[in-house]
Amino acid sequence: MIRKILMIFKRDMKVSVRNFITLYIIVVPVIFAVIINIFSPGINDTTVEIVLLKGENSDQEEFFKQFANIELIDTVENIEKRVKKRDNIVGVLPGENDEYFILTQGNEPDYVVDYVRNLTAFDHYGIGLEDSMAEIIDYGRDIPPLKKLMVNVAVMFTSILGGMIIALNIVEEKTENTISSIHVSPVSRMGFIAGKSVIGVFIPIVGTFLMLMITGFRNINYFHALLMITTSCIISILIGFIEGINNDDVMNAAGNMKTLFLPLFGSVAAIELLADKWQPLFYWIPFYWTYKGNNLVLSGGGSFMDIIKYSGIVLGISIIVFIVLAPKIREGLE
Amino acid sequence: MIKVKNLYHSYSNDEKYAVEDVNFEIEKGEIFGFLGPSGAGKSTTQNILTGLLQLQKGEVEVAGYDIKHIKNKMFNKIGMSFEQSNVYTKMSGLENLEFYRKLFDVETRNPMDLIKLVGLDGKENIKAGKYSKGMKHRLTFARSMINNPEMWFLDEPTTGLDPAIAATIKDIIRQENERGVTIFLTTHNMYIADELCNRVAFIVDGKIRLIDFPKELKVKYGKKLVEVEYYKNGEINKESFSTVVDEEKQKLLEVIRKNDIRTMHTKEATLEDIFIKVTGRVLV
Repeated sequence: MIRKILMIFKRDMKVSVRNFITLYIIVVPVIFAVIINIFSPGINDTTVEIVLLKGENSDQEEFFKQFANIELIDTVENIEKRVKKRDNIVGVLPGENDEYFILTQGNEPDYVVDYVRNLTAFDHYGIGLEDSMAEIIDYGRDIPPLKKLMVNVAVMFTSILGGMIIALNIVEEKTENTISSIHVSPVSRMGFIAGKSVIGVFIPIVGTFLMLMITGFRNINYFHALLMITTSCIISILIGFIEGINNDDVMNAAGNMKTLFLPLFGSVAAIELLADKWQPLFYWIPFYWTYKGNNLVLSGGGSFMDIIKYSGIVLGISIIVFIVLAPKIREGLE
Repeated sequence: MIKVKNLYHSYSNDEKYAVEDVNFEIEKGEIFGFLGPSGAGKSTTQNILTGLLQLQKGEVEVAGYDIKHIKNKMFNKIGMSFEQSNVYTKMSGLENLEFYRKLFDVETRNPMDLIKLVGLDGKENIKAGKYSKGMKHRLTFARSMINNPEMWFLDEPTTGLDPAIAATIKDIIRQENERGVTIFLTTHNMYIADELCNRVAFIVDGKIRLIDFPKELKVKYGKKLVEVEYYKNGEINKESFSTVVDEEKQKLLEVIRKNDIRTMHTKEATLEDIFIKVTGRVLV
């Protein structure tokens, strides 16, 4: 049975990469990742970067290295060129009378420039870490919140793409009536449904992992991520089957999958914008719990039990939806 | 190989039956023609036999399996060639067969051999979507043989094919039958049925009107005459002789002995004539 399920999956994959629409859907997670990287600061970019003149002041260089990423360049001209590049690197260059001046492109955030200015002053006056009486307390948040939100939404969006591909494949099977030929082969109805479902899990998993790697979330717990992705796919797969069965046109089927975007974005908006008293209104939406679970995965702050809790809730809701939709799917594929 | 007893089927789940009280049996190695006009209930019956439609009422056994409790392994013994070609258009002819063969649990035939058998060699790597209607039909036909079926369902196997290809397909059907394959042939083409079938059933309005051997039917419903055209004194004469009256038989022998025969035909009825006579309906 497993062999036949994999055969059906392999066929779907082969045909999907030959179809422009499905191929586009498959590469969408990578496109998302690139876009996120362009429009949000990378995780590694959150550290302030300073460019210094090579060999000019080794003490200053050592001091700065404790607090920022340091880049050393041979000439002042090259430092000027480097500062003009897209990122927020700031130059610290020697002026007259042992003074230093700060070279910026002009569009760096104020906090970056202030930070470099303070570092330069502290170095000038010989103030080190041992002179500070401040105690640092943080909340463990070392990832830009906006980036985490974007990646989280993109991960959930990717889970819908799997359902979209299923819908397109079912429409293809229906319009070409190839379902009948499968039904007169020793593949059970459930085997066929399982085979068709694999792509709905495979594409989101691979897409999400690629996206996490590209966007810099390389040190998170990937097993936790796998649990969240797998459970969040189930709803999309079920809707993919229903849309495939109810439509005879690929564009309509793909278009109707957009109905899932409303609960997805609704859940995100509810968690990020609404007060606690409104939250229970969204408990029935699996994306609500997926978003919470993904947040923990992306911040690396969730325990295994936390992830089990959120993925379990998503699985539970999905099972209820499956019980409701399974007879319709079975009947529709006859 | 097939036993059908009191088969009923209603699409509206009421007393309006698409198939009503259908009974027949097919022996192993037989080619059984299921003939009738469009909408007569041929496809409904065939779909029930192949498990594509759920059995509602009656008893059906195919290749030793009870259709009421259908088992997947039954399909290892069954082949089905559909009237409407249903192949994956984004896959090549060869890929279609390679994919399908892997769904079976029994030894399968070499896809390339089947491609050659139906005359698609040289086009096996072209996507089926670019095939002509006839080529798709041949691919569908070839696919139905991939698992060496013991019971082969053929739905209008030569429809839409040019005469040369149709002749090839008929030859393949005969060869498979000679190997012992039992064939259930659904068609409204009486000539195909006449050429291939050992027995035929006429179905109209969901009811079987007749089941018999084509030869018997022709004898039963045909005129017992021989029509002869012969040359006599430089002219063509035409006469009919009874094949049952002794005096007429003697006359026929005389004509054959003394004259050059131009044509000579027994006045058998065609299956189409018999169908019209029995059912009062024309095959469309």
